[in-house]
Amino acid sequence: MAIAFQVRRIPLDRTRTARRLLVDRWAARVVTGGGLVIIASILAIVGVIALEIVPLFRPARAGRVGEPIAVGSPVLLAAVDEYRDAMYAVTPAGRIEIRGLSGHGAVTHDVAGLNGAGVTTAAVAGGGRHLLGTSDGRVISLEMKFDVTFEDGRRRIVPSPQFAEPVAVDPDGRRAVTRVAGAFPDGGPVIVAEVSPPRLVLVAVVQRKALIGPGTKEETRQDLPLSDDGAINALALDGRGDDLFVGTTRGRIVRYDLRDRANPVRVEAVDATTAGSAVTVLGFLNGDRTLVVGDAAGGVSTWQLLPGPGGGAPRLTRLNDFEPHAAAITAMSPSRRDKGFVTSDTAGVVRLHYGTTGQTLLTLPGHAGSVRAVTFAPKADGVVAVDATGRATHWDVDNPHPEVTMKALFAKVWYEGYGEPTYVWQSTGGTDDFEAKLSLTPLVFGTLKGTLYALLFAVPIALLAALYVSEFMHPSLRATVKPAVEIMAALPSVVLGFLAGLWLAPVIEAVLPGLVLFGPVFALGILVTLFLWRRVPAARRLRPGVEALALVPVAAIAGWFAFTLGGILEAWLLGGDYRGWLGSALGLGFDQRNSVVVGIAMGFAVIPIIFTIAEDSLTNVPQHLRAGSLALGATRWQTAVRIVLPTASPGIFSAIMIGFGRAVGETMIVLMATGNTPVMDWNIFSGFRALSANIAVELPEAPEQGTLFRVLFLAAFLLFCFTFTVNTVAELVRLRLRRRYQGL
Amino acid sequence: MKTSLRRLFRSGEPYVWLAGGALALALSMVVILVAVILVNALGFFWPRAVMQATLRDGTVVAGQVVDREGAAGGPIVRVKLKVANRDLTSADFVWIDDSAITARAYPPEIVVVERTEWGPLIGVVKEVRERGAPVATGAAAAAALDARLPAAARLRRDVRAVETGAIGDVNRKQEQLRLALKGLEKRGASARADVEAAQRELAKLDEEYKAAESRLIELRSRGTAAVVVATAAGKDKEVPLAQVVGVYRPNAMSTPAKVWHYATRVWEFVSDDPRESNTEGGVFPAIFGTVMMVMIMSVIVAPLGVVAAFYLREYAKQGAMVSAVRIAVNNLAGVPSIVFGVFGVGFFIYAVGGTIDRWFYAESLPAPTFGTGGILWASLTLALLTIPVVIVATEEGLAAIPRSTREGSLALGATKFETTLRVVLPAVMPSVLTGLILAMARAAGEVAPLMLTGVVKLAPSLPLDGLPPFLHLERKFMHLGFHIYDVGFQSPNVDAARPMVFATTLLLLVIVVLLNLFAIQLRSRLRRRYRTTAL
Repeated sequence: MAIAFQVRRIPLDRTRTARRLLVDRWAARVVTGGGLVIIASILAIVGVIALEIVPLFRPARAGRVGEPIAVGSPVLLAAVDEYRDAMYAVTPAGRIEIRGLSGHGAVTHDVAGLNGAGVTTAAVAGGGRHLLGTSDGRVISLEMKFDVTFEDGRRRIVPSPQFAEPVAVDPDGRRAVTRVAGAFPDGGPVIVAEVSPPRLVLVAVVQRKALIGPGTKEETRQDLPLSDDGAINALALDGRGDDLFVGTTRGRIVRYDLRDRANPVRVEAVDATTAGSAVTVLGFLNGDRTLVVGDAAGGVSTWQLLPGPGGGAPRLTRLNDFEPHAAAITAMSPSRRDKGFVTSDTAGVVRLHYGTTGQTLLTLPGHAGSVRAVTFAPKADGVVAVDATGRATHWDVDNPHPEVTMKALFAKVWYEGYGEPTYVWQSTGGTDDFEAKLSLTPLVFGTLKGTLYALLFAVPIALLAALYVSEFMHPSLRATVKPAVEIMAALPSVVLGFLAGLWLAPVIEAVLPGLVLFGPVFALGILVTLFLWRRVPAARRLRPGVEALALVPVAAIAGWFAFTLGGILEAWLLGGDYRGWLGSALGLGFDQRNSVVVGIAMGFAVIPIIFTIAEDSLTNVPQHLRAGSLALGATRWQTAVRIVLPTASPGIFSAIMIGFGRAVGETMIVLMATGNTPVMDWNIFSGFRALSANIAVELPEAPEQGTLFRVLFLAAFLLFCFTFTVNTVAELVRLRLRRRYQGL
Repeated sequence: MKTSLRRLFRSGEPYVWLAGGALALALSMVVILVAVILVNALGFFWPRAVMQATLRDGTVVAGQVVDREGAAGGPIVRVKLKVANRDLTSADFVWIDDSAITARAYPPEIVVVERTEWGPLIGVVKEVRERGAPVATGAAAAAALDARLPAAARLRRDVRAVETGAIGDVNRKQEQLRLALKGLEKRGASARADVEAAQRELAKLDEEYKAAESRLIELRSRGTAAVVVATAAGKDKEVPLAQVVGVYRPNAMSTPAKVWHYATRVWEFVSDDPRESNTEGGVFPAIFGTVMMVMIMSVIVAPLGVVAAFYLREYAKQGAMVSAVRIAVNNLAGVPSIVFGVFGVGFFIYAVGGTIDRWFYAESLPAPTFGTGGILWASLTLALLTIPVVIVATEEGLAAIPRSTREGSLALGATKFETTLRVVLPAVMPSVLTGLILAMARAAGEVAPLMLTGVVKLAPSLPLDGLPPFLHLERKFMHLGFHIYDVGFQSPNVDAARPMVFATTLLLLVIVVLLNLFAIQLRSRLRRRYRTTAL
């Protein structure tokens, strides 16, 4: 039979063809462009996260604002208002010179209550107050208020100095106050002043509130004992008025304990400077716990009261040394936001330091002439220094994250109130002067700890199961077991975390001894089953490859047996309370939500991943290798372990790596199944806090662009890099394996 | 014996069995997990009998037995009773030593009253009151109560309708007008006609509000009935019927009645709003939020994933560069989800959302509109998270299509684009679908990134409603997975909330597992099809 072709000629439509070709060209462009854009934006994730981190490590910057402003005669003290609208300085003539920092506006106020006396010295006390010592032996407290008004839509600030009733240090009113320090705790003001000839006087005002009528005010005045440590050169009193520090010309710091106002005690004296150069400046950082010492040789250091080695009374201890000035230190001013401070010297150099990290961040540029007074703006965004000729220089300071350095994030840091350098994560606290402690080390540690215990649990089970399924299991069963395990991989981690935290944790707490016994009991049970199995005549046995199913009931029986036995053994050997025994015999604490719970729950999440990849690479080992081995008389176990396993080992390695990556980033399980306390110990019965859970807990509360916000982004960046690297290595190993199989 | 044992070990058979044991253990764990969830979740809705126990010291407690505890394998040592009445006693639950119980009874007249506040109340109906005056006492009270319940339920529905409907409407319109006014003022039009019009409109809305409010007061005043329940501890508690959600007598119920009750409770669970900070009532908003979020995500992820995959497999020149990109995209699937959440916060919320706010919603600043978490940002974040899944599945599908199929089309004169669109795309569609379903399953179960990008404990309104523009992409939403975390770990009364969490868990699990099973089924069918075509 002949086949007849009917050929019909389609007329060639040139315009249509041209249009089709055009469409084709454009489609290619759109798909290529779109695909590239999509892929680029996916990969840009890491870039966006990195952009948020960069400012953390940007060095501090400062720039001079405007020309120097003439303030007048040499000043005793300088300060700036909160919005850096104006600065003010106090002169020996008893004037408060107020200058607009924009270069416009100048107002002069007189210090009230001087009665013809002059101001001889000035100091900063807590709460924005200043203390002025007078030539007639009195101390006046000054607080500067700036009222903001709007006129024609323009901001105007009106300064109004507030003075408290003067306190007489020298009741005779003849001797001048040469140095002063003070504090305003709840009980009433405490003032320490040096009057000439050298006497150190403590004046404590005790205010008693009366039920009816005005409260009484009681002033006590007494001399503090002086010693031969040298002439007094600087004074500092903490905000509670408890500890007085006196810096001397011989480079010593003498500490007085003023807690008992009626009975002050000289506690200790330490050499604080090198080569005995005079202490010229003493001052506290924000929070009044860290003492800054500046000396005549230009050295700057921080000190704290810490318990001596092996406990005991607290002693003044040197914490950090900062980059020294070339000339004598003249003044220091702390930041009111963090632990930063500025120091100035006689050569006109002003430097910015950060107390906790021990770093000198910056030398402010462009200033000459001996600095008499320096002040850090209240928001830590500017510095004003006044030199000996009475000219004030103003700098902008851009230093949003001074507390973050690589060292602060990953190394031990000596925080205020800690006996030694430690790793601490504590991002928020109750008080205003709380210092955020942002060490990522405990979190990285927590992540690794959780991952380790999860892998300890998951890897043996997953690999053995994969080996069994690929090598020994009946193919018909394999077709159902593999999807079952895949479903296991799809279980939402929030479900696992919930069960781990609310169901598994109490169960494990109740049956922990039984759980420990379960492994050996189950292994024994398997051997017993095998033995019984071999007694059954071969014809009536189940076909090979279904052993695992037969072992499910064995696991149940072993579980029941192990838990019963565990209960009995606990009552018998451990006194009925294994937790007490753990504490007394091994010194281990026990939390209900501990690493065992996390290990099992996260293991549950990791097992299917490791299983699937390992099983794939085992199954893909070329069949002729197995056939050859079996033909040479090797048993199926020998074939599996000596031939298949080594061949597939790169695949198994990559399976473990990918499981590792998953466990590192797992969030909900660690969030829900641990106590989330950032502690660092390897105890399997205690909790931890992981990087991922920490982000989930803290990021919603972190203010945008703040230090905590950026540090959390850094944590995310670490997680990204870590898992991405691990996964890439695993993928490359797997690709190489695939090529190797092709060669076999 | 000894030699046979040694021979046995030399054959390696025990190790094979040990490996089998590991698999058995993994499977048992799955079974245990599913069983725990099923038992706890399904038991939650069953009307358990209320046991009235008389203790040795003479006190009487009544409650539903929810747990028993004893030495392993030994007799029951103590039981956990849900005694409810949280407002009268300090705790919902008590543990009672079994030995301390002298008498147990299951009186049929005991009722469980579900309330809008304070959880259930367990006791005996003593009387029914109208405006404080008793209208029925004792046995008659039960009938009187049942007769009044439907009216009370209607009234509650009406009150709600006014609260959310009329008053909510007015509130929203007022808010819009206020924002519009603010915008006008900003542009410097303080005395123009449109400002006056807006102000007139505001005044009108004020009146509408007052009308709705008075209607609400009138409605509320109609709810005058109350029921007095005597608890086992001997206290009387008066509950206004307006607060009664439901009443049942578990001890007097027949099995079909219990089944019916069970079914209604399940229905309430999936269709109702939550009560009592999510520990009671239903999870409908969470289901809705989850579905909504997954759908928005699918709409975004499907075209993007397909285009990227087509580029990688069909258009890009295969080489080292494309291989590297492929590996990178693959590995992105292994990057922790929380990292995507952080990206969502930094990029979508603060960068993109902040910009949108500054451009289009300047009048409501500093209150953010798009510059805070919302369903759009959550969906976009999850789309990024799941796009590798779609890309990988699509690429796999593309690789499986035989070259000859494409070449046939090209040889017939079709352009590359026509081949791609008419031949390759239909063939690869099932793979795309598989990838999409896997992506949806992953997204439905993911919680960590959502916690950062827009999920809340309790959303006041759904992201989809009858008010223009109907789909509110900026709104925060509720999510089943977050519901589990929040109620299970953040609620003040975890013990009472736990059964509810199990029920939510089961629901989420069913959704995720069904999606996965569907995807697996689809994929295996596909593989079979290509195997035959390839031959």
